[in-house]
Amino acid sequence: MRLALLSMSFLVVAVSATAGWQLGAFGDTEKRQKIDPFSSAFEHNDAFQFEPPQPGSYALNVIKKAPEGRVLDIHGNSRKLSDLLQDKVSLVSFVYLNCGDINGCPLAMSTLFDIHDTSAKIPGLHENVQLMTISFDPERDTVEAIEAFAYPITQSDTATKKLDWHVLTTSGQAALTPILEGFGQVVDRSTDQEQISHLLRIYLVDRDGQIRNIYGLGLIDPRLLMGDVETLLLEEGLL
Amino acid sequence: MNRREFGALATSALALGVMPFNASADETCQSPYMPMITGHEEYIYIWTLGVEGMGDEQDKLVTVDVRPGSDTRGQIINSVSVGGRNEAHHGGFSADRRYFWAGGLDTNRVFIFDVHTDPSNPTLHKTIETFVKDSGGVVGPHTFFALPGRMMITGLSNDEDHGGRTALVEYNDDGEYIATYWMPTEDDMQGAVAVGDAVADGYGYDIRALIRKNIMLTSSFTGWSNYMMDFGQMLQDPEAMKRFGNTIVQWDLHTRQPKKVFNVPGAPLEIRFPWGPNANYAFSTTALTSKLWLIYEDDAGEWQAKEVADIGNPADIPLPVDISIAANDQTLWINSFMDGMTRLFDVSDPHNPKQIYEKKIAPQVNMVSQSWDGERVYFTSSLLGNWDKKGADDAQYVKAYKWDGSALIDDFEIDFYEAQLGRAHIMRFGSAALYS
Repeated sequence: MRLALLSMSFLVVAVSATAGWQLGAFGDTEKRQKIDPFSSAFEHNDAFQFEPPQPGSYALNVIKKAPEGRVLDIHGNSRKLSDLLQDKVSLVSFVYLNCGDINGCPLAMSTLFDIHDTSAKIPGLHENVQLMTISFDPERDTVEAIEAFAYPITQSDTATKKLDWHVLTTSGQAALTPILEGFGQVVDRSTDQEQISHLLRIYLVDRDGQIRNIYGLGLIDPRLLMGDVETLLLEEGLL
Repeated sequence: MNRREFGALATSALALGVMPFNASADETCQSPYMPMITGHEEYIYIWTLGVEGMGDEQDKLVTVDVRPGSDTRGQIINSVSVGGRNEAHHGGFSADRRYFWAGGLDTNRVFIFDVHTDPSNPTLHKTIETFVKDSGGVVGPHTFFALPGRMMITGLSNDEDHGGRTALVEYNDDGEYIATYWMPTEDDMQGAVAVGDAVADGYGYDIRALIRKNIMLTSSFTGWSNYMMDFGQMLQDPEAMKRFGNTIVQWDLHTRQPKKVFNVPGAPLEIRFPWGPNANYAFSTTALTSKLWLIYEDDAGEWQAKEVADIGNPADIPLPVDISIAANDQTLWINSFMDGMTRLFDVSDPHNPKQIYEKKIAPQVNMVSQSWDGERVYFTSSLLGNWDKKGADDAQYVKAYKWDGSALIDDFEIDFYEAQLGRAHIMRFGSAALYS
């Protein structure tokens, strides 16, 4: 029940796309007719008092290689992280389902839901971009728990038009630790197991598994994230 | 003075991306990306220049215990030396606050200390020996400004002429090089615009950012050929005195692209943004002209720069150095090296700052750090190895005071020469409470 409620709360904060925004398709043969950058599909938030920079007008340097590791998907399948990260540009965040810190997982999740929901309005985006959340609480975020959490995502009527969202956990701390360390995601596990202290981070990973940007609080603006995604796609010559 | 409610401060700080805090917490001049100490600071880490013939003669990170009630409060409890002298200067925590990065202005080494495994006893985790090569010729790693997963380092100089032309250098938290961003110059503005009669000099010093505005500012000091020269000799060298920065550059924080170059004559040094949710400005001070400058967003949304106050008597060249803004944005401590003074300015109206207090700390003073509640203020002494005063005036110390709202009250002090440590420079606070 708790998981279901959390899922609902995340969905409530998702923002619908602005009217009049549309794009054509991706690809060399079917050039899209670009009207506005991706970021224009998202509503302005007063917390971010600037216009995102023009996609493609700047470089996103390689920060480091994303780590290798094994994760569990919602079906309990063991997957190599590198296999999941290849082929698409990924927005990756570490969360745990019981997180109640308004500046922690719920903020990351609401931003990802915003992007997920709005992605249905951008034809072709789902073929090139994906979302990924990895639990840093594998003891409680079991395969069954993440499957329940992912249910409204996978069962949505428009799921096939939206970005793939890999909701993942791990078999335990031994599998999780090298992934956290590789990304540089700090997690402090205190004796109070109800709260897991962590710094909110979202990582932008390119198709080659390289981390190209890292967002913390103050930067979790979907316009900024999608501007960077668009910059990577422009770099690839896809737009 | 118009003091805001603490609740508003908490809201603004949270919006800027810091951990929850209470009324007695961290120093105020850190990167807003990093977690804050949610109680009393427990340790002060002091990056200290080794002195020939004194102790082990090496640069070192000294830890002072400031835990309330501790038997060793006000004492040095640990020190970790780095194996030589490098012109130890500034440093800063990584965004996760687990590591303290510190630079050597002469050798260009960057030392990364582990401060989380045992916050009372930092250890040297890694040394970057390739800063100049990595960066394509940047010399003098100065300010360390944390970004999520990365460290932005300002340079002071370059390896071609050892003058002031320099760059920003970005590393990841593992200490691996990412990129170099050269300061705009008159010949290569990189798309930036010179405001008024500003001439882009390409110099560097400090860096700070206002995240919600996507603004980054850098200031400008001088190159290796000056900061490693004897101070008295440099003052007598007219050519050397021409080689100081006169600009502050506004950057796009996200793209790392320079946008505007402001004319701020006389070597603008430290930059501090306030914390308020609607405070769209920053302060800086000029070392040679002794002015307090305001860089601010005007009613049209354009950023501007103007001088707003004298610091002491500029004709006496008091040489303003470190500054520290209160968490409520209402006051600003300004140290000046030559007269050993600290001055407190009421900056509640940032366009019209007024000095409201002053005190002589010692024959020379450089750095100042205050607790988040403003009730504890700490000072250290050293400016540069070759610029510090000579003889009896070469006081080297950390001094702690209580601020009671109207005066600094002596708490404790440690003589760094008596302790055979060296020249005390930048301070940063630590606490075991950050790491569960």
